[in-house]
Amino acid sequence: MLEGKVDKPLSNNTDGNHNTNMSLDGRVKDMCPICKTDKYLSPNMNFLINPECYHKICESCVDRIFSLGPAPCPYPGCGKILRQNKFKKQVFEDLGIEKEIDIRKRVSAIYNKTQEDFENLQDYNKYLENIEDIVFNLNNGINVEETQAALNKYEQEHKLEILEKNMRESQKNADLGKYREAMALLKQEKLSIQKQMEIEDQEYQAQQKQELLNKLSNSDNNNSEDIIAQANLNMIKRSSLRKRQLQQINSQLDQKYHLDSSGGKKKSSDKSKTPFTPFNGDRDLIKAYKFLPAVAENEPAVSDSKAETYYDPFVNKLALDKQYLGAGWRQQYIFKKALDEAFLGIGCFIEKEKS
Amino acid sequence: MTSTITNVQVANSTCSNYSKDRKVGEGTYAVVYLGKQLSTDRRTAIKEIKTGLFKDGLDMSALREVKYLQEMKHENVIELIDVFSASNSLNLVLEYLPCDLEMLIKEQSIIFKPSDIKSWILMTLRGVHHCHRNFILHRDLKPNNLLISPSGQLKLADFGLARSLGNPGEDLTSNVVTRWYRAPELLFGARHYTEAIDIWAVGIIFAELMLRTPYLPGKDDVDQLDVTFRALGTPTEQNWPNVSSLPLYNSLRVYPPPSRQELRNRFSAATEKALDLIIQMTQLDPNMRCASTEALLHDYFLEMPRATDPSELPQMPSKKKSEKNEPPQKKVKV
Repeated sequence: MLEGKVDKPLSNNTDGNHNTNMSLDGRVKDMCPICKTDKYLSPNMNFLINPECYHKICESCVDRIFSLGPAPCPYPGCGKILRQNKFKKQVFEDLGIEKEIDIRKRVSAIYNKTQEDFENLQDYNKYLENIEDIVFNLNNGINVEETQAALNKYEQEHKLEILEKNMRESQKNADLGKYREAMALLKQEKLSIQKQMEIEDQEYQAQQKQELLNKLSNSDNNNSEDIIAQANLNMIKRSSLRKRQLQQINSQLDQKYHLDSSGGKKKSSDKSKTPFTPFNGDRDLIKAYKFLPAVAENEPAVSDSKAETYYDPFVNKLALDKQYLGAGWRQQYIFKKALDEAFLGIGCFIEKEKS
Repeated sequence: MTSTITNVQVANSTCSNYSKDRKVGEGTYAVVYLGKQLSTDRRTAIKEIKTGLFKDGLDMSALREVKYLQEMKHENVIELIDVFSASNSLNLVLEYLPCDLEMLIKEQSIIFKPSDIKSWILMTLRGVHHCHRNFILHRDLKPNNLLISPSGQLKLADFGLARSLGNPGEDLTSNVVTRWYRAPELLFGARHYTEAIDIWAVGIIFAELMLRTPYLPGKDDVDQLDVTFRALGTPTEQNWPNVSSLPLYNSLRVYPPPSRQELRNRFSAATEKALDLIIQMTQLDPNMRCASTEALLHDYFLEMPRATDPSELPQMPSKKKSEKNEPPQKKVKV
């Protein structure tokens, strides 16, 4: 068992949260309590939960027990009637959180107003506080029936409002969807125009060539150079024209689609006006020396060091030692360090440093 | 000889300049007190080195710490304010930094934003860059040694293992860096390693910040090799020339290198550029690993959520609580 754990490939639980201290506890957690199938032995198994009681059951058990219709939860002492279509994958490790999120989703589908629906912040906060109360009650089993009843009542009373709000929200989302669609379309259009232009170019070139040949065959020899030069000039002119055209079309397309989205983008770029300095302005950009490699002619060029090395029998010899090379050591570093250290003090004024 | 005498005199005079208020922690070779610089009222940490405990004088790491911290002054390196000796003990007066990155990683109530991680890595790299351009290897980078000042600045600390880059021909010990952050060449017992070992450690810390759990937690030195290569593939002569010449290299289990997709799944929150930087910093071949300069110039730091300003980084919550409700003094355990 223990060995098996070590051999388990890392990719199985790559987030690394569990593989470090997978104890017996973890083993029990990865086992279906109904059919006792172990996740370790059948890695493809999945757990499902039902928001009625949040008991974990493996997929095959769900298929087996609930495929014929609603049935009681197989956990001993639970007995809640569950339906197959309500089973879902667990998103959060902590079932308490899973449950709370479900409740939140349910409640916020009914209490779906946003700040713009309120005249002042206080009212909105009151509304949010109310939602939190309901969620808390449902989550912690305080006055569940009363709260549920109140929730239902609210839903009945505000049915129209909720629907209307939903409509508005979906419109907003649709706007986003439309924008994305437009962007995709824009990309496509750009590509197709580019392609078309390329094809046209090719045709034009072929045509030009043909014309040139025709001209050459019709004219006398001394004129031919002139004709070729003329043709080349034409080609260059045309290609630069095409480039400009392409740019123009691109910018036109951009304008067409970007008119409304540009406002948002500007704001975010304003925020970061100060340029980022990776070294916080503290970096020695200018080296006080230049590295002029000077390897002796008779010395065989040492291993992989093409440049940045000096003739130094001792260091050059070390550079042939595979132990040195394997550890990442390179002789260039030695020379660089020696030179850096030699020039380190230049430009450093003690008086200034002291103050 | 004369110089040492004057030194003692100076030391005696500075001794009275500091007060030791409260014991904060105790290590194998030192006791740390919370203190105050009396002249400026500045809070400091005072590290009292136990002497006499060792037959052959002062502990090596204390000397190293003094030696290298004295040389360096940088926003992202802990400041050694003073050194004095009193009643047979050596005292290092250090900047007082109440928090470290490990505490933050372990504190479940704090949520790290991508920009926060970027900011910490940026500050770490700046500190490391400063060490490296002065040819100093830190050799013990880990979240526990990255301290956070009250203003949010991250500072490299604990230079007890630091040393300057060896002279050619000199052997360095490969038994450095806390195991989980040890670069593969060290695991193979290399004795001529370079700055790249610090970059590896930063890469692993980067990964740990993303995962909120140690990236390569080996149980022992042998297991560390296994864990490392399981995650990043076993090095071969092809992807790491001359690796087989390293002292402790003997082909262990051969794991294939992870595909980019696998890494992407592993760091599901990382952007493409963040992933790119992690990959560059955790290259198995030390020569392929990027240097601190390259890391700092990486596009990841230019990418949009920009690094959080240090003052806006998350801080330990317990501190606020203990300030608000006075009674529970138990919070300060050590």
